[in-house]
Amino acid sequence: MIDLFTWLEGSAFSTWVREAPTIWAFSTILTLHTFGMGVLVGASGLLDLRLLGIGRTMPLGPLQSLYRIMWFGFWLNLITGSMLFAADATSRGTQWLFGIKMLLVATGVVTMVMIRRQVYGTRTEPVIEGSTRTLAAISLAAWVAAITAGRLLAYVSN
Amino acid sequence: MPFMNLPHLHLLMNHVPTVGTVVALGLFILGMARRNEHLKHAALEVFFLIALATLPVYLTGVAAQLEIQGRPDVSREAITAHHDAALLSFILMMLTGFVAWLALWQFRRHGKAASWTTGGILLLGVLTLAMVAPAASIGGEIRHPEIKLDENAVAPAGVWVSAAAVQDLVTTRPWIWPAAETLHFIGLSLLFGVLFAVNVRLLGGMRGISYAAMHRMLPWGMLGFGINLITGMLFFIAAPEQYTTNAPFLWKVICLMIAGADLLYLTVFDKIWALEPGDDAAILDKAIAVTAIVAWVGVIYWGRMLPFLGNAF
Repeated sequence: MIDLFTWLEGSAFSTWVREAPTIWAFSTILTLHTFGMGVLVGASGLLDLRLLGIGRTMPLGPLQSLYRIMWFGFWLNLITGSMLFAADATSRGTQWLFGIKMLLVATGVVTMVMIRRQVYGTRTEPVIEGSTRTLAAISLAAWVAAITAGRLLAYVSN
Repeated sequence: MPFMNLPHLHLLMNHVPTVGTVVALGLFILGMARRNEHLKHAALEVFFLIALATLPVYLTGVAAQLEIQGRPDVSREAITAHHDAALLSFILMMLTGFVAWLALWQFRRHGKAASWTTGGILLLGVLTLAMVAPAASIGGEIRHPEIKLDENAVAPAGVWVSAAAVQDLVTTRPWIWPAAETLHFIGLSLLFGVLFAVNVRLLGGMRGISYAAMHRMLPWGMLGFGINLITGMLFFIAAPEQYTTNAPFLWKVICLMIAGADLLYLTVFDKIWALEPGDDAAILDKAIAVTAIVAWVGVIYWGRMLPFLGNAF
């Protein structure tokens, strides 16, 4: 595994991301990653708040289009996140906090999909079941924890 | 800026908080005395806009401090006293702006503001005026000792709030900066999520939702804004030299002013409030929505670029 990380980090692309003396490399990729975070967590968090009972006057049906916004943020961050990982593969790949962040993001995304199945699944009308609220709470907690882990990656070295 | 620097900008804008508070508080008291809801509403809007304008007044003031505090012809004590008094008034002004915004939001939803917000505005407005007037006066003495009754008197440094104490707190405890950064990113997601969705509705997405229903979520965006204002000010006060000479920071504040003005529009305007499920917003309102999204993306862009295009860490 560590050989793979070393090869990845040494590749021409990773070197460009890490070292190119242009704002279009590392800094722009990181900024897009921050923007994608705001889009994904913002849209998902808004739906979670609604499912938890805030702003009940908002009908659930049209809120389904928030999923298009969420997936846009998700793919943007999967791509930019992979680029950032490649640039620092040996340290990120062996960092426990990075592993925790990945688990938290996976929890957030899986919860997001489960909520969609439950609320907008088979029935013609969207519906909130008892467990939907639990999922929404897990989703909010997972995103907050994922942001915390991601932000602390800049300050923790092991 | 070739024709002006930040200390100059501070001199241009520094009367806005004091004069603005007098005007807003005057209108508000007049509105209460005459039982005129329109007057009260106008006063709340002025309170909100003055609070927004106070942000660049404070920021440029710190830039002016860094610029002139080493000069032999100005008193460092007077500058410190002015800064501490200004910081206290800044905090009160922001609280007033937040409560004024909440009152405007209640006005929109229920046709009138709750009595606790009305009372809160009156109390905070008076307190702000009581603090901002001496802050302005001490500021005037920095360059105009001739206005002092006793030329040798030195204004006391912050009694309740001290910028140096805040700076000391943030820089000596290594966990505060990362914790504030984390909160700043959580606040960003909350703020951006809500305001992006509301503006997308104006642009024609999620059309099945009435604007009034989306309006219900605005306080959550405001909560994110509050978290980010507090954490952002901690960074600024702890390391002002990273920001006052940082071009991206200037752009970030300009984008924030535009986005802040848009928040007032989203909260109070009649035309968008009337949008029922299925209704399409007018072309001008769509243009404003695009501008607001661009401004928020600008805030994120210039904020994230602070260390790369500027000198922040």
